[in-house]
Amino acid sequence: MSAPRLAFANVTGGYGSTVIVRDLNGAVAAGEVLCVLGRNGVGKSTLMKLLCGYLPCRSGHVLLDGRPIDGFEPSARRRAGLTYCPQERPVFDDLSVRDNLSLMHAARQLGPLRPYFERFPILERRLGQHAGTLSGGEKKVLSFVRGLAEDQPLVLLDEPSEGVQWENILHMAECIAAKKAAGTAFLVVEQNLAFAERIADRYLVMDQGRAMLEGSRADIDRGRILGHLHV
Amino acid sequence: MDALIVTQAINVVYAVSTLAVLTLGLAVIFGLLGVLNIAHGEFVMIGAYCAYLTQSWNWPYLVALPLTLALCALLGAAVERIMIRPLYRRPFDTLVATWGLSLLLRKIAEAIFGPGFHSVTIPLPGTVQFLGIEYPIYRVVLIAVSFAVAAVLMIWYGRSRTGSRIRAMVSNPELAQAQGISVRRLAAATFIAGTCLAGLGGVMVAPLVPVQPFMGLDYVLRAFFVLVVGGLGSVPGLLSGAAAIGGVDSAISAASNATDGYFAVLVLAILFLWLKPRGLIARG
Amino acid sequence: MRAASLVVVIALALPLVLGQFWAYQLGLYALYASAAIGIGLCWGQSGFLPLGQALFFGLSAYLSGFAFIAFQQHSFIAVLTMPVIAFVSGLFAYGIGFVVLRRPGENTAYFSMITLALSLLAFQIATSWNSVTGGFDGLKGIPGLPGLSDLSDVYYVSAAVLLIVLGLASWLYHAPLGVLWRALAQNERRLALLGFDVRMLKAVAFAVSGFMAGVGGAVYAPQQGIVTPQLVGFGLSADLVIWAAIGGRASLIGPVIGTLLVGSLSAELRDSVPFWEVLMALFFIVIVLAFPQGIAGLIEPAWQRLEGRPRGPAPVLAPKGLTDRPAARLALSDVSVHLGEVTILDHLSLDFDRAGIFCVIGPNGAGKTSMFNVVSGELAASSGRVDLGGMEIGALAPHRISHLGLARKLQIPSVFPHLSIADNLAIALWSGRATKLQLLDPRLRRWTSPMLEELKSRYPFLASGGRKAAELSHGEQQILELAMALLTEPRVLLLDEPCAGLSPEETGAVVDIVRWAARRLRGSVIIVEHDMSLVKELAELVYVLHNGTLLARGSVAAVQASPAVRAVYVGGTK
Repeated sequence: MSAPRLAFANVTGGYGSTVIVRDLNGAVAAGEVLCVLGRNGVGKSTLMKLLCGYLPCRSGHVLLDGRPIDGFEPSARRRAGLTYCPQERPVFDDLSVRDNLSLMHAARQLGPLRPYFERFPILERRLGQHAGTLSGGEKKVLSFVRGLAEDQPLVLLDEPSEGVQWENILHMAECIAAKKAAGTAFLVVEQNLAFAERIADRYLVMDQGRAMLEGSRADIDRGRILGHLHV
Repeated sequence: MDALIVTQAINVVYAVSTLAVLTLGLAVIFGLLGVLNIAHGEFVMIGAYCAYLTQSWNWPYLVALPLTLALCALLGAAVERIMIRPLYRRPFDTLVATWGLSLLLRKIAEAIFGPGFHSVTIPLPGTVQFLGIEYPIYRVVLIAVSFAVAAVLMIWYGRSRTGSRIRAMVSNPELAQAQGISVRRLAAATFIAGTCLAGLGGVMVAPLVPVQPFMGLDYVLRAFFVLVVGGLGSVPGLLSGAAAIGGVDSAISAASNATDGYFAVLVLAILFLWLKPRGLIARG
Repeated sequence: MRAASLVVVIALALPLVLGQFWAYQLGLYALYASAAIGIGLCWGQSGFLPLGQALFFGLSAYLSGFAFIAFQQHSFIAVLTMPVIAFVSGLFAYGIGFVVLRRPGENTAYFSMITLALSLLAFQIATSWNSVTGGFDGLKGIPGLPGLSDLSDVYYVSAAVLLIVLGLASWLYHAPLGVLWRALAQNERRLALLGFDVRMLKAVAFAVSGFMAGVGGAVYAPQQGIVTPQLVGFGLSADLVIWAAIGGRASLIGPVIGTLLVGSLSAELRDSVPFWEVLMALFFIVIVLAFPQGIAGLIEPAWQRLEGRPRGPAPVLAPKGLTDRPAARLALSDVSVHLGEVTILDHLSLDFDRAGIFCVIGPNGAGKTSMFNVVSGELAASSGRVDLGGMEIGALAPHRISHLGLARKLQIPSVFPHLSIADNLAIALWSGRATKLQLLDPRLRRWTSPMLEELKSRYPFLASGGRKAAELSHGEQQILELAMALLTEPRVLLLDEPCAGLSPEETGAVVDIVRWAARRLRGSVIIVEHDMSLVKELAELVYVLHNGTLLARGSVAAVQASPAVRAVYVGGTK
């Protein structure tokens, strides 16, 4: 079997002297969705930043298609095939929705986005507006569409459903399913269990910076996950 | 009487537009990168000395442009690499470092050209008649070019691909990186663009001012005041700041003397720092 | 003391060793050196850089020149005006500092630019106001100081002046005020939250530096007999900064060494060595980027050996607080905060109406930290009111709120990294206890309090006074910051994720200290926390925030049972 799209081993790190994430391991294969679950503050977003190169790992390694990318800066990781949709400040507030979607496309054509506009017509209606004027949920949808439309083999989504209407969350799940069928690997950080249950193949449940549960969706008992999500 | 008013009005337009073009470079570097480049004025000085050299070698005046751009770009790249890049997000340290740079460039100019004045002959002598007055052609050209440069820059920043990427970098650098923009390279290019704009301003004003090693100090302070009053990050802000500073300065200088004009400008800037620290038009 | 006597001996012996010419030259640079010490005070100690310091030197030189000319017949009166002139110069600096340093943080760069501009303006005024200043040629014919016979006398006067300024600086650097200046440069926010008026501290630093430059300038006029506009201009301003930097801005003696060495060498070599000034400028850049300690960094170890080890100080009991603390009651009523179009707090009402431990929880973006920022005075509420012990505190600055009995620990450990543990703790003790005048008394650095002694016995590392805070582990820094917050003996203590990034043992230590503090202070401790096991362990009452407003309030069990809370945490289908 070939190397997984993304693998991370013994990843530890945080901000400055503060260690948030301790000794995490995981892997995502092509055509697979790994959901990282946990309450807020347990280190999920920190894990994403370590994987994307915004924070240096104190120890451990990150591998893309079996190749270590530890020294890569975020833009180099993107060029190596990793798309990231952050949880906070997910869009360029000062740019129009159109510019947000076409920033990195040479021809600046919106044609390839047509299928997404059919699912999320709100974006097409707001193309000329500054993204800063969108609601929190709308920004998340914009960020999600931008990320998926980049057509990269690996997509990291940090709480894509936060603030999004349930109807659009369902559309997101369908988009992910379609991409997955085409071989894209996903690592999705979530707090919304109902959404996670629709998309996940496997779970990684975190608490206090550490892995609590790990395994396929079928193997992990819902009640035990809830125990880590509830207050 | 009418002719006098028109002349005075055009003088103010001239003062404001040269001030605006001399501020552009600082505005790009301070407004977009958050780096207060105190050596901005010395890049203006480099442009002015390039104009002087071009003339003293009997080359056509326009040759000064590529000469200046090449010199400012090279120097800008080196400075960005050595003293700006390691100090991003440490505004105080960059302030001290660029202040040292301004000192160095000044002393180098002094060592090469001596401490005295040099004058540059106006490349387009003569006057032009319009609105019932005669006005020096070169100044008219200068006004036109200033507005053209500002307009081109504004349109390029708003419309071009690189312009949107710079806006993306300024708005949200982490997300820009996530989308594959190398913020390091783009920031370096932006810095170099700023130093080149400063040099360009120097070539433009060289024939109208005494060219000397200390000329940059006054420019960087005025440019800084323009940004304090106008606000960072937008061309309309820059123009309104230049209008306020240039207008106040020329009005008071004309009514009283240059020292009072300078005093008024300083008071205006301090008032803005107190009452409206984001300036007239902040980036929004 | 040994070091100080050595300096005096060297100062006395120099003219004998170097001869009259060099003594005279050094006499001039000794005056500049007192201005350079002021640069070191602002830049090396307090962390902001005046670029137009010659303004104060030159201003005093002119004033002193006027005085000596006016009192030509009674030169002793002129001598008596000199300290007044230096004081006026300091007052002038205070005014500028107070106006320009109004807003915290970012405007240190603005301050530098404004001081540079002021120096240029002063140069213009000095050159153009012919009738008073003598214009470009300067103010001439100033009588000399009375009773001086030869050039070495001139030198001894300058040397004495410099030693007095050095003594003043040395005293201030050792006094609590100096500690606060260094703290200011390292962590302005922490200092404000601990109850210190950072704007005032900066303005005072600048005033003292203006006074020091003023002392030099006042002596300059009678010594040189002429005052020219160059003395207020940017050239001397720039030189002072260069000398201070090369000598070592952070040390007491550095700016003096830099001025005497580089300054007088430059005066000699400027014309004979080609590119000398270019070299000095290059040297300055290298020093700033790579060797911030300057020349003093090389001799500092020897200096310290000379100073000897400080004798073990006997601790002094700190007095009780200066202000009466109100009851431990914090209430937010209908508080909203909007930033642009975004609503951060939405008509939030919270009432912590008794002593105890309270936890505030809520999903990301619920407004927990913003609520803290509003309470500590760092974020202005758009509407609503905040009361601490029955007093409205909505419009107060952070340091005033601190004096009313509020303390706050930030999420990322926020201490003064380059100060010793002892100084970190002492700063907290001074807050609300020391009067402004007492901040000049070095003995305050030995203050202790019963609470500090208890903390030291619980956490022995707090007693290892000489170590720098930066050398502590992450967990120890968390505890140090918590200890600092406690030492102000607040009635209301805000803790933002006090256990973030701690090991289980360290978490246990923090839990202990929080419980102990709540009992000891008989106040309320309000904790923002994500870790539910900790909430269960500590909280008497839990407040759940969501979308900037209060979603639920109750015991841990009640909150856990609330369907609304569950929906927020697990996410639903709506």
